[in-house]
Amino acid sequence: MDYPSKFDVIVVGGGHAGTEAALASARAGAATLLVTQSIETLGQMSCNPAIGGIGKSHLVKEIDALGGVMAQAADMAGIHFRVLNSRKGPAVRATRAQSDRQLYRQAIRRFIENQENLQLFQQSVDDLIVEGDQVRGVVTSGGVCFRAASVVLTVGTFLGGIIHVGMQKQPGGRAGDAPSNRLSERLREMPFTVDRLKTGTPPRIDGRTVNYKGLEAQPGDDPRPVMSYLGSRQDHPEQVNCFITHTSAQTHEIIRNGLDRSPLFTGEIDGVGPRYCPSIEDKVVRFADKDSHQIFIEPEGLNSYELYPNGISTSLPFDVQIELVRSIKGFENADITRPGYAIEYDYFEPRDLKSSLETRFIEGLYFAGQINGTTGYEEAAAQGLLAGINAARRSKDLESWCPGRNEAYIGVLVDDLITMGTKEPYRMFTSRAEYRLVLRQDNADRRLTPAGRELGIVNDQRWQRFTEKSELIDKRKDFLNSQWVQPGDDIESYLGQSLNHEYSLSELLRRPKVSVESLLTAVAIDWPDSEVNEQIEIDLKYEGYIKRQLEEVEKINGQHGVIIPESFDYALVGGLSNEVQQKLTTIRPETIGQASRISGVTPAAISLLLIYLKKNSQLRSRQTG
Amino acid sequence: MAADKLKSDFPTADTIAAVATPSGRGGVGVIRVSGPDVTAIAEQIIGGLPPVRKAVYKNFLDKTEIIVDQGLAIFFKAPNSFTGEDVLELQGHGGPVVMDMLLTTVLDAGARQARPGEFSERAFLNDKIDLSQAEAIADLIDSSSQHAARGAMRSLQGEFSNIVKELDNSVVELRMYVEAAIDFPEEEIDFLSDDNLVKKLQETKSVFVRLIQQTKEGALLREGVTLVLAGKPNAGKSSLMNQLSGRQSSIVTAIEGTTRDLVNEHIQIDGIPLNLIDTAGLRAAADEVEEEGVRRALAAVESAEGVLLLIDLAMGDWRQQTLSMLAELPKLESTKVIVVLNKKDLVSAEDDNSGDFPYPLVRISAKNGEGIDELRISIKNTFGMGISEEGVFIARTRHLEALLTAQAHLLDGILQLQENLAGDLLAEELRLCHQKLCEITGEFSSDDLLGEIFSSFCIGK
Ligand SMILES: Cc1cc2nc3c(=O)[nH]c(=O)nc-3n(C[C@H](O)[C@H](O)[C@H](O)COP(=O)(O)OP(=O)(O)OC[C@H]3O[C@@H](n4cnc5c(N)ncnc54)[C@H](O)[C@@H]3O)c2cc1C
Ligand SMILES: Nc1nc2c(ncn2[C@@H]2O[C@H](COP(=O)(O)OP(=O)(O)OP(=O)(O)O)[C@@H](O)[C@H]2O)c(=O)[nH]1
Ligand SMILES: [Mg+2]
Repeated sequence: MDYPSKFDVIVVGGGHAGTEAALASARAGAATLLVTQSIETLGQMSCNPAIGGIGKSHLVKEIDALGGVMAQAADMAGIHFRVLNSRKGPAVRATRAQSDRQLYRQAIRRFIENQENLQLFQQSVDDLIVEGDQVRGVVTSGGVCFRAASVVLTVGTFLGGIIHVGMQKQPGGRAGDAPSNRLSERLREMPFTVDRLKTGTPPRIDGRTVNYKGLEAQPGDDPRPVMSYLGSRQDHPEQVNCFITHTSAQTHEIIRNGLDRSPLFTGEIDGVGPRYCPSIEDKVVRFADKDSHQIFIEPEGLNSYELYPNGISTSLPFDVQIELVRSIKGFENADITRPGYAIEYDYFEPRDLKSSLETRFIEGLYFAGQINGTTGYEEAAAQGLLAGINAARRSKDLESWCPGRNEAYIGVLVDDLITMGTKEPYRMFTSRAEYRLVLRQDNADRRLTPAGRELGIVNDQRWQRFTEKSELIDKRKDFLNSQWVQPGDDIESYLGQSLNHEYSLSELLRRPKVSVESLLTAVAIDWPDSEVNEQIEIDLKYEGYIKRQLEEVEKINGQHGVIIPESFDYALVGGLSNEVQQKLTTIRPETIGQASRISGVTPAAISLLLIYLKKNSQLRSRQTG
Repeated sequence: MAADKLKSDFPTADTIAAVATPSGRGGVGVIRVSGPDVTAIAEQIIGGLPPVRKAVYKNFLDKTEIIVDQGLAIFFKAPNSFTGEDVLELQGHGGPVVMDMLLTTVLDAGARQARPGEFSERAFLNDKIDLSQAEAIADLIDSSSQHAARGAMRSLQGEFSNIVKELDNSVVELRMYVEAAIDFPEEEIDFLSDDNLVKKLQETKSVFVRLIQQTKEGALLREGVTLVLAGKPNAGKSSLMNQLSGRQSSIVTAIEGTTRDLVNEHIQIDGIPLNLIDTAGLRAAADEVEEEGVRRALAAVESAEGVLLLIDLAMGDWRQQTLSMLAELPKLESTKVIVVLNKKDLVSAEDDNSGDFPYPLVRISAKNGEGIDELRISIKNTFGMGISEEGVFIARTRHLEALLTAQAHLLDGILQLQENLAGDLLAEELRLCHQKLCEITGEFSSDDLLGEIFSSFCIGK
């Protein structure tokens, strides 16, 4: 049957990508429908119960700055917060929130249910309605046809999902959920390039059977960090400890003896897994000389005994899993509540996407999340947000939006995917960002909230908080610029540094060993809002470097912003080698900047392109390339 | 919103500089600087911008205020210049060494070395050159960048390349440690607080110092056009080598197969540096040693920019001989050939019916020196001009600039670690250092770096 009303945007899948996509689309004013297999699993964390981490909390804060909900949900569900890299410099500082699964799902569901313009429907989507090269809607397993101008597909690990435990395999989207096989088959009939990836998860442990004596406890950080720009410590539920233990030589022996029944090592699994997130059997084989690996024991929630042993993801047979778990200190008598497993699933070549995440083959169809070859909740949510924004903008005939590599990790993520593609599940790392000093988690709001406001996805409350904070930063900076101290002032003894002439307070704050707190104490100023003070300190201390990175951006942006027409024929440009021509034709870069980042495309090739565009009066540019 | 702002004009980019006169010519040499930083560069080198389009006589000063050269400076204000941007021209004394120093000074002051054809490209993009010239400019960029790429390849052989690779490996290793410590803080590795890191940084620093010193002295890079002397045994290759170099560097005898190994000689023709390589005569070899000699000769021909193909006029029809020799040589697509007809003293003057021959042709006597001056002119015409904007010192200047900048970043990085314990800033300096090195050694992506990390450390939970 045809559903009686029409939508602007339909989002398929209620995982991390789908929920942010639906929310962003609805915030942007589009009539949005979220269709998902199960309303109960909205915002479900399939694997480890944590949000954030290096590179990832950068994404979470950017999503937050653009009005997304992941950070707020993490604050509501976080039971153990830590700041990572606290002493390695502000640019690489990150936040991680160990989260209560149930609280997290509840928070996400509340956001969904309270969002205007957003409707929910529970059923599996089996087919897309496509007319010509235009998407028109979706068909569910119950035969309901929903129509919309744009569809965002975010079905995660569910397409043709196969779960492996030892030599047993069975279809599944993740443990406990059915795979999406109809949809997978239909998509394979369309002109997309499909391939297989693999990921895995550890067995879960019954906490009541663990002996904590002798295990190193790891408390959360104090002061406790907060994830959302709108959040506060009051949002956080009760806090708990994590623990650390290690595998033993015996564990490794057990694993080696089980390898003949490992789907990874017997060739059962062809999907490529992530190198940075290897299974324990992989680690034992590849780094045979290490006789112990670290395991973080993470509670799954406040109302559950289940524990997540981070570091022993495995698809060995269940009997080997029990034996290996019990060879670990503290787990001598432990019971497993759910076996670990590996899952293989379909993903689509992301180089077939535009920077809006719209597919190049079917207009109005957007892909986001794990199906684009990424892994991680944060990576999925970031793409979901972007696809949601652009699907909504398309319904209003507005140009698509994507931040540049110099503006956001979201920009780095999308540009990497559509330019380089990926051969293993793609995870964000700070080393992927060449403008890392500019793309910090402390300034994501300043980088993106103004754009979000213009896009119509940042509400009044957030906007007001943001402008107040910005004004406060400016005001305090002005003050520090205008206050001077003299040699001989008391401040010398406070700072333990002597002055040889007059200095402004902001000049003092630029010094390496002067922190904002010590300075404020020395001059007896009591400024609340440590976040604002920290921001000022970073701005001042990093000024030189930030300026240099911004200059670098300025320099390349000129040429890099030049737009390459969508249907450009590279064969017409004389002098391009066959290899370069072929690469450009498959990747179809949107700008000269993107073209220049394709490996093998030389500066001379870029010059030839520019000259050709100029000759044919096609030289148009935009600001970020 | 950012993406919505469409601009139709071509935006100004960074500032570029290059030697604008063909290298090797005596007299004056011009360095052209174009782009938004011209004012700042003029400030540093000649104490400020001269009046528009007025040649003024100036001292050219480097960073330390030492006079590098003296000459005329002319300023062209945008858009009334060759490129349509602000342009400064510095006319110096022209010798390759002086021009090289002057260019280095300009680069030091903030310019980037122009890529082949880049001035013309900018002129074109800024509407200073007619649209109908598009093809010509595209061709220029295409051919000159191929030329430069070959030059860079050639400079990357031997000792220089070995040390650069060693350096590159060290920097990759350093980055691997630092980035692993940043991106995987929960692994049991914290290289940032490890004394070994500082030691390794210091070691890398000293390799930089050594390499830069040697590069400056020109000790490592083979410069200039490589010309190979090739031909049948006894054609007179070694005799010609000695004529051109003015030294008895190759043994000459009446015995066929005298020369067995490659013999190198560095010469200049009107300031154009040339690498001459004498080779074994090409024939079915008589023994193992000669066989190896012939193999080396052919390899030298293959990687050369130019070949002087020697033909013995006394051995009969030179056309016939030349064609059969050309058929024997490796493919010479991008290599230029001059056919040298030797031993003209032995044959009666024949009429010059060589006009339609597809290669430049010179008749000489390597024995008595007749025709050698003509040959020099032919060499100069064939190899001196093609290099145009780029200059022969290009590879070295480029490499040196890259090395110096890379070194500066390494030093800043060490400072950041020691003074401020700032891991992120050390990482940034190492990234910039590596980026500069990659201009010599080739592309290296952040994904490559992650690959190095994953294969070296056991990472992952
Ligand atoms: C076993 C396993 C191990 C993992 N390990 C890690 C790890 O170690 N580290 C890490 O960072 N990430 C890991 N992940 C990945 C992480 O779970 C995903 O990256 C993230 O959940 C992807 O979000 P998503 O929104 O793209 O998809 P998902 O979270 O998978 O959500 C997909 C949603 O789509 C719905 N759906 C599927 N098909 C249909 C359909 N036809 N119609 C309607 N709805 C549909 C599903 O019900 C679900 O709600 C793992 C995932 C699994 C399954
Ligand atoms: N008359 C005359 N003899 C010459 C001339 N050039 C070279 N010869 C003689 O030819 C002989 C061979 O000269 P080389 O210069 O050794 O010849 P080559 O090509 O180096 O020979 P291989 O090293 O054996 O391959 C010597 O006896 C030279 O003196 C010339 O122009 N005129
Ligand atoms: Mg000889």
